[in-house]
Amino acid sequence: MLIPRRTKHRKQHRPDRSGAAKGGTRVTFGEYGIQAVEHSYVTNRQIEAARIAMTRHIRRGGKVWITIYPDRPLTKKPAETRMGSGKGAPEWWVANVKPGRVMFELSGVPEPVAREALRRAMHKLPMKCKFVKREVGEA
Amino acid sequence: MPEVHIAATSRTELGKGPARRERQAGRVPAVLYGHGTSPRHVSLPGHDVLLALRTANVLIRLDGLDGGSELALPKAVQRDPINGNVEHVDLLLVRRGEKVTVEIPLNVTGEVEPGGLLDQQLVQLSVEAEATHIPPGLDIDVTGMEIGASVTAGDLALPRGSSLAVDADTLILHVIPAPTAAQMEAEIGVEAVPEAPEAAPAEAAPAEQAEQSE
Repeated sequence: MLIPRRTKHRKQHRPDRSGAAKGGTRVTFGEYGIQAVEHSYVTNRQIEAARIAMTRHIRRGGKVWITIYPDRPLTKKPAETRMGSGKGAPEWWVANVKPGRVMFELSGVPEPVAREALRRAMHKLPMKCKFVKREVGEA
Repeated sequence: MPEVHIAATSRTELGKGPARRERQAGRVPAVLYGHGTSPRHVSLPGHDVLLALRTANVLIRLDGLDGGSELALPKAVQRDPINGNVEHVDLLLVRRGEKVTVEIPLNVTGEVEPGGLLDQQLVQLSVEAEATHIPPGLDIDVTGMEIGASVTAGDLALPRGSSLAVDADTLILHVIPAPTAAQMEAEIGVEAVPEAPEAAPAEAAPAEQAEQSE
């Protein structure tokens, strides 16, 4: 599971949910990819589940890239706790994904296999996504 | 490569407000520069630009400009991250016979030897070519390539008039052994072991101990 080795601050503010992705909006490493259509926090568990889902389907012969990283900690206060008394304990590691961001890439398999593998992976992700192909030759 | 004629009009109003109005009217704001001239702001028909940009390194003939038509290459294209609509284009002025450095697409054909996995490092190759004779792309046939075999930039046969703008040793693609089904299952099995949620932050434990001691 993806997790930062060390962090500067143990608890952070909630990441900004507004706007669209500034970079990483095109398929660059592989041939096919999953692009986010909505904003969401993607946890390291969801990333791992999606990776396993697509790897199980392609069996062998393919290569997978994960182009997001869960580097933001989210905290949670325990249940039935009154407000105050400081910020809660870190609970999740998330990637702050904005619309347009390509999160997973895949290559080395035929397109129908890639479509199905990525469709299965999309079901593990918390937002609406779409299948994208690499566009060759754009300036 | 044939030229694509696009009717351009000069823009007098600049900035995001006028640019947004242009886009709403189905046009694309663009800027034209090169050869030491001052940048010229133009407006192009959106659909024509979208179709033209489907070809790599398309040579665009801009008609209707002050001082006659101009030949240009797309230098940078800004697109909407979600729907892919063209939002702005940077156009570089070129002349006939002028040498330019462009990225041309590499198309891989064929299948590698069973048991091998094609690892393509570059999908575009930087070449120097005449502006009016830019190669549309290069085909690389990988049929029957064995594990460990590789293709470098120097191995590619470039069309006449074109030369490499990168080192000849630059790796384009190579064939690596494909992971076996057992290896992939083993990897999934190891990785899939869930961790305790409270152990997620790397520094959680030491910091909490410090707080309690205070």
